[in-house]
Amino acid sequence: MNSEILISVAVILPILAGLILLIAGKGYRKVVVLPTALILAVTSILLMEERGFSWTPDPVIQTVVMGLDLLLLLYFLYVGFHNENVPVIGLTLIQALLVGYFEFTGGGHHGEPIMMVDGLSSILLLVINFIGSLVCIYAIGYMDEHEEHLDLERSRQPRFFLFLLLLLGAMNGLVSSNDVFWLYFFWEITTLCCYELIRHDGTEIANNNALRALWMGLVGGVALLGAIYIGNYALNTLSLATLIESSPSPLLYLAFALMAIAAFTKSAQLPFQSWLLGAMVAPTPVSALLHSSTMVNAGVYLVLRFAPAIQGTLLTYGIALVGIFTFMFTAIVALSQRFSKAILAYSTIGNLGLIIFCASMNTSLSYSAALILLMFHAMSKGLLFLCAGIIENRLHSRNIEDWEGLLAKLPITTGVMIIGIVSMFLPMFGVLLGKWAAVGVASSAPVFPSIVMITMMVIGSSATTLFWAKWLGKLIILPIREHRIKMEKVSIWYSISTLTILGLDIVASLGASYMVQHVVSIAVAPHYELAWSPGLLKLSTQLGSFMIIPLWIAMAAILFAGFLIHRYKGGNIVPAYLAGENVEGDPIAFRSTADTVVDYRVSGMFFDPDITEGKWNPWGTLVGILLNLIVLGLVII
Amino acid sequence: MVSTLNPDMAISVAYIIVAPFLGGLIVGLDRKITARMQNRIGPPIIQPFYDLIKLWGKEPFLASSFQPILAMGYFGFIFTGLILLAFRQDLLHIIFTLTLADICLIVAAYNSKSPYSNLGGRRELLSMLSYEPLMVLTAISVQVVTGTFLVKGIFEYGTPLLLLMPAAYVAQQLVLIIDMKKSPYDVAGSGHAHQELVRGVYTEFSGYTLALIELGHWTKLVFILSLISLFWAQNLIIGWALALLLWFIAIVADNIYPRLTWKSMLRTSWVLGFMLILANFIALAIWRVI
Repeated sequence: MNSEILISVAVILPILAGLILLIAGKGYRKVVVLPTALILAVTSILLMEERGFSWTPDPVIQTVVMGLDLLLLLYFLYVGFHNENVPVIGLTLIQALLVGYFEFTGGGHHGEPIMMVDGLSSILLLVINFIGSLVCIYAIGYMDEHEEHLDLERSRQPRFFLFLLLLLGAMNGLVSSNDVFWLYFFWEITTLCCYELIRHDGTEIANNNALRALWMGLVGGVALLGAIYIGNYALNTLSLATLIESSPSPLLYLAFALMAIAAFTKSAQLPFQSWLLGAMVAPTPVSALLHSSTMVNAGVYLVLRFAPAIQGTLLTYGIALVGIFTFMFTAIVALSQRFSKAILAYSTIGNLGLIIFCASMNTSLSYSAALILLMFHAMSKGLLFLCAGIIENRLHSRNIEDWEGLLAKLPITTGVMIIGIVSMFLPMFGVLLGKWAAVGVASSAPVFPSIVMITMMVIGSSATTLFWAKWLGKLIILPIREHRIKMEKVSIWYSISTLTILGLDIVASLGASYMVQHVVSIAVAPHYELAWSPGLLKLSTQLGSFMIIPLWIAMAAILFAGFLIHRYKGGNIVPAYLAGENVEGDPIAFRSTADTVVDYRVSGMFFDPDITEGKWNPWGTLVGILLNLIVLGLVII
Repeated sequence: MVSTLNPDMAISVAYIIVAPFLGGLIVGLDRKITARMQNRIGPPIIQPFYDLIKLWGKEPFLASSFQPILAMGYFGFIFTGLILLAFRQDLLHIIFTLTLADICLIVAAYNSKSPYSNLGGRRELLSMLSYEPLMVLTAISVQVVTGTFLVKGIFEYGTPLLLLMPAAYVAQQLVLIIDMKKSPYDVAGSGHAHQELVRGVYTEFSGYTLALIELGHWTKLVFILSLISLFWAQNLIIGWALALLLWFIAIVADNIYPRLTWKSMLRTSWVLGFMLILANFIALAIWRVI
């Protein structure tokens, strides 16, 4: 009974809160959002204790869900006709046909539990409710600033918060559904929220990008329905657990391949990468939510869910190849990007690729690597988006070339942002623990797939290091004209959200042993023996060991020693070397011909014209389509 | 607790303490050999130590207040990597620690808004992009052979790695040349200040910060040579002979070739280096099947 209430709270509370905010005034926003966030976070922790239960809601609710599903499709149809968008109309009609056929020909419930929370779900619930709630808190501060420049007659924030919170509820439902039809229902709601949130600002570009996100999401919906249909036809069941546990057959593999395609659409894997890149036109909380804790994780979740069922098949390598190729490709394209959110978006797609790669490789080590990456990536990426949003609002520029010397202008936000960047690619943090394990996964695979995967992974990792490092360098370029570091004012909503995520990330990284032993293990245990032997100082696998705490100790010692040396040796700060042509009192100018004073600037490194989005993306999409066809083709073999 | 100190442990500790000084000697020897190749007498072998002490005592100037900590970070993380290596830890993790050190140097170079130093930092980044993948690929090949990323595993493995991975050993030549900042791949600032007036990535360091960077460089040299010596871990004398052979070739190359562009560096390491290691990998796999 207790668990049933908890799961209902996780799904319904955010939706209710969203509906309240739709009617209530501005003043109620924090009164509603803060407690909701808190309750959701606590619920997700409580659900960890309750995991392993299953529940079938009242038949009335099931009928309501069916009805809502049809309404949703009707709405998509309306959107399609309203915007005269053929793909949306076509894909919605296919779904409507499949759903209708299904309901009128004796499909439906067969007595298996509808909701089920196991280890995997509870990890996802933690990520969704912690990071997602913090993003909602951040949005309270952000949306006011956002609307200041827009001169709106009426605030559009009520509908914004409705869809933001609805997305949380839908994600909670998605990861705890066992009935594939319910899973599909929540899946479609996330598509809806994504569409509404991306087009929130109502500009033409926002509308176009939202429609693209919608039709790509609908492709996923069709694939998922296809998988459901095949699963039901083959085994006469709607239970995800039954599908996964039953003895494999070619027909079932086709269902899993379709699920993989659905997952690729949600997780923006090649060739579906463009919707997530387009999503950056939306206000920052949307990006933060889509990229870190919700939307994209739905796809990853699905792969993690069915992966154990395809163990030892070629399908494993097919899906892994899509993931690892996406990782390599996006890392290279990210090198050429100037917009902060574009870099972050490419990095997200790449990391999801890595997670999907790990998830589908199907060993104990790979499964845990996927989960580690999933959790730490959510924290780091959430943090980065939140900081990027604050900085963008201050500077009115998302071009990182304009972010030069930001550490002196916005020390707190930039400081947090720098730690966020460091947490993505340096070994003090959990993301690199996951990557380290992923390298082990690639190298211990059978030799011929292994060679391809290793090469792609090494190329991808090097490019990743490069694009983060050059961004990091840009942020802390110091002398600038306003050399004195001024304290900045950070609103309470920003402080709560960013500092909490930062704290979570650091604590979880330091306690990686604990995380592996007590969190990751609960999702791994049903399928594999845990491959890790976590110790206080180092985490060991059969392949090696990774040390986070000793590195933090080394870092502390280095900081201390550096501080002491600086203190003891001192040293005046002098202008940079400019071949003797410095201008007195102006650190960023030099004397040119006839003593003209000229400002100099150092630009970033973007590898034009060798790497550009325009040149690379068509090829990436093409290879992505081919790899997706291979995934489907592998079923036949 | 002294009784629990086994001989292995004592050797490791001694190695950690000696390594930076050994690096200084090797750099001194390098300068001597280079001088002889150019028909000069050259400085005494311990000249680098004199230089270091002199640098340390110079009047301090900074380009920004982050410089001392970042310079310390460069030396400190290389030293951390060395400690991990001495205690035979995970090869991949050791390489990641090295990356951390390099990032400190690069960020320190970016940090002072000097066009020269920025250019140097950028090129250092490209150097890192050139040699690090080769190290990671080698570490992965080692894992495939020995079954573990732990350095310990290489020592416990019966056959010297050189016999199984000769091509990967050859690829280390590229790593070493780039890492020692020797021509033709010294794009970020040459190891010897013999080709340029403004020394790329090091431009904005002076006095004690430069001394720290120099100390880091010595340590890194010993560190990389130690990694190469693992190709014959069963007898480390042979291992070091192998490492010093590559070191000597790097010095010869330095005296023969002019500097090439960063693109040619990247192309050579990514095409030739990748091919050498991957070909070795495939050959090993085929050999195992047979």
